[in-house]
Amino acid sequence: MTGLGSAVREFLLAFADDEHLIGQQHTEWIGVAPFLEEDLAFSSIAQDELGHAAALYAIVAGDGDPVDDDLRIDDLAFGRAPEDWRSAQLVEITSDDWAHALVRHWLYDAAEQLRWEQVAQSSLTPLAEAAARAEREEQYHRRHADGLLDVLLPVPDSGDRLRTALADLLPLAVGLFDPVAGEAEAVATGVASAPFDSRLDEWTDRVRRRFDVDPARFLPAAPTGRLDRHPDFGPLLVRMREVIDLDPAAIW
Amino acid sequence: MGRTWTSMDDFEAFLDGGGIVEVDDDMPDAYRQAVFAFIEMHANSELMGGLTERDWIPRTPGLRHKMAVLAKTQDEIGHAHLLYMVGADLTVKTRPGMLEDLFAGRSKFHNVFHYQAKTWGDQVAISFLVDAAALASQQAVFKNCSYGPYRRILKRIISEEGFHMRMGEERMLRIAAGTEMQRTMFQQSLDDWWWPALQLFGPDTRPGDVLLRWHIKSERNEVLRASWVQKFVPLLMSYGFTIPDPGLTHDPAADTWTSGPIDWEPLKRTLAMGGPDSARRIADAAANWADTHWVRRVLDDAPTRAAGTAA
Repeated sequence: MTGLGSAVREFLLAFADDEHLIGQQHTEWIGVAPFLEEDLAFSSIAQDELGHAAALYAIVAGDGDPVDDDLRIDDLAFGRAPEDWRSAQLVEITSDDWAHALVRHWLYDAAEQLRWEQVAQSSLTPLAEAAARAEREEQYHRRHADGLLDVLLPVPDSGDRLRTALADLLPLAVGLFDPVAGEAEAVATGVASAPFDSRLDEWTDRVRRRFDVDPARFLPAAPTGRLDRHPDFGPLLVRMREVIDLDPAAIW
Repeated sequence: MGRTWTSMDDFEAFLDGGGIVEVDDDMPDAYRQAVFAFIEMHANSELMGGLTERDWIPRTPGLRHKMAVLAKTQDEIGHAHLLYMVGADLTVKTRPGMLEDLFAGRSKFHNVFHYQAKTWGDQVAISFLVDAAALASQQAVFKNCSYGPYRRILKRIISEEGFHMRMGEERMLRIAAGTEMQRTMFQQSLDDWWWPALQLFGPDTRPGDVLLRWHIKSERNEVLRASWVQKFVPLLMSYGFTIPDPGLTHDPAADTWTSGPIDWEPLKRTLAMGGPDSARRIADAAANWADTHWVRRVLDDAPTRAAGTAA
């Protein structure tokens, strides 16, 4: 296929932005997770997610033919104005509590699995290849989150902390399924097999089984089309760009 | 059951003959304490070094660049993890005991991690100058270390640290070839980190130092320090940076560099937890540790609960 077209580009950027920001958020936990093994596990997951983002941005930067050029990847990853981002609010909010970070990790990765499945047979070959690579890593991410939740959820104190975090995060997590502009075009051209929200019921069912709650209680009022940034996004972008903004001519 | 020695003389003869002590050997208590204290400080330093660097990881300028620096810090935490396990095997303190002592300010870690990385230039200076200093010290231990478990994990640590230093060098080179702002920032970092990095080697080794006598270390501090100066002075000068040492001298005949008089007061202050960033560093680490106690409590009790359910 030659050229992505602006619609498919938007579709891919939404996925890349989510992967980038969840990876970015996970980097905040290195050295301050509850124990050393968890520092290592969480930072490995962060690295994987940043790697997925880089792979997706590389496809967009190369207009379907991935580039191996950090400047072009970073131009997409850091160079866009807030209104041009297509991230979900779930990955934009600050998580300074471990229960919150763990529940977000679980919710995000449960959706991420389904999302990669939507492009596993993509007509865009580099995307299908990225999906295969990602799934090999993601099965460990899911096992990691589930392993912790298996132990922490049944105990009253830790279970309560996690359920409080869930109540806070679920409305935003459902927003991961908000259709992004360009998705219809991506489906029409075989870049994705079906709209992502066709998997929402499956994800909801997994959330219900995992946390024993009814996610219907937390559905968002209206889809945002990923056009509204969370108030935490502004400071997050400033933090991510802090060094870059010191000198636009600098290469680090 | 391991080996036993009839006397300290017997044990020292074993060490002098190149003997390697293993964890189940009936080693003299003074040796056990000395090797434990050394490993504990190394472990603490790897962890606190990771915490110094983590301040800047989310701000790394570049996506794949961020993956690389994250991997580096992950290595440091991984070293701490290995070292705490090897330390705990000596049964002087448990692993949680070591962490709790660290977060209560009761145990030591390297002077450099009592300072704050205030700029991205500092982050690069740490992975260049400081990692090189730490690597030189570790290599000197590894070469001839009499405690087997430590020597074996040092092999892995050293290979990773060598990679970090090269990564730091590559980043320093980009800055050196960069804009005026980048060079000014790095010069400031050099001004701030040169002396702490140099002091990482410690004051001149005292005669009769048991670490040398028992082959835990195999080189004197002043020798390692001098060779680090010898390497970094010409390298940094060749990129147009200034070494913040007015007493630095060059012997043109031998082409060697010698640092000026060293003020050891800053080092002493860090060892007494009075370094520029000691209080914040310890308080933050302790607060994080306390904030996540609920997770450890549940996980630590999990085997007991499982046994209760089974019964």
